[in-house]
Amino acid sequence: MTNQRSPLSFREKSAWISLISLVVIFGAYFSYIGMVLAGLARNRFALFLVMVAVFIIAEVALHLVIATQSPRDARTPKDEREQLIELKATRTAFYVLLVSAFGSIGTVHLRLSDPDDHLWLMMQAILFSIVFAEAVKFARQIVLSRRDA
Amino acid sequence: VDTAIRNTIRRLRFDHGEMTQQELADKIGVTRQTVNAIELGKYSPSLEVAFRIATVFRVPLDRVFQYDGVRTASEKKKV
Repeated sequence: MTNQRSPLSFREKSAWISLISLVVIFGAYFSYIGMVLAGLARNRFALFLVMVAVFIIAEVALHLVIATQSPRDARTPKDEREQLIELKATRTAFYVLLVSAFGSIGTVHLRLSDPDDHLWLMMQAILFSIVFAEAVKFARQIVLSRRDA
Repeated sequence: VDTAIRNTIRRLRFDHGEMTQQELADKIGVTRQTVNAIELGKYSPSLEVAFRIATVFRVPLDRVFQYDGVRTASEKKKV
């Protein structure tokens, strides 16, 4: 009979992949934005598109790898416990998004030389809010899955 | 307030030809991790899943799950 701490399930691996992809790829993107704000680099909208494309490719490729390793788990629909974990994680992420989105509005009070920069900065702040909330969602999924496993 | 639901799934699995968690999970339509969480008392399943487990082992529901009543946090500390 097996009754030990479970190895990572397909859903947990999926959450880890999404979390790491988000942190690495968008971490690099926001580091670049920080350099733009510091005047060390030029703003390039194309970079955002490239980062989104890289993120999608990384997500698809890595999920294909874990689906190949455990095809049965990948095909199995989420059960009630996994749905509950996802709901709890999404609720936490919603509050994070709410607070950080309100925080994004605060960027209009920053003193910037070009008024157009306010719009650009607010867009970056909102994007950061979305990415941060998603990262919190995946992290919470991992924590809840481990705690109950 | 914390609920205290115990279960005998591990014993029942053993009595049914050492059925694995994966085999039980496949029969009741959940993941092996969920069966493990139920066995360890970390997750209380829905009534439907509870009945499915009882059906697999061909026993009444109260042979699978036992309810110890509701315990408050202060009562839990005393235990």
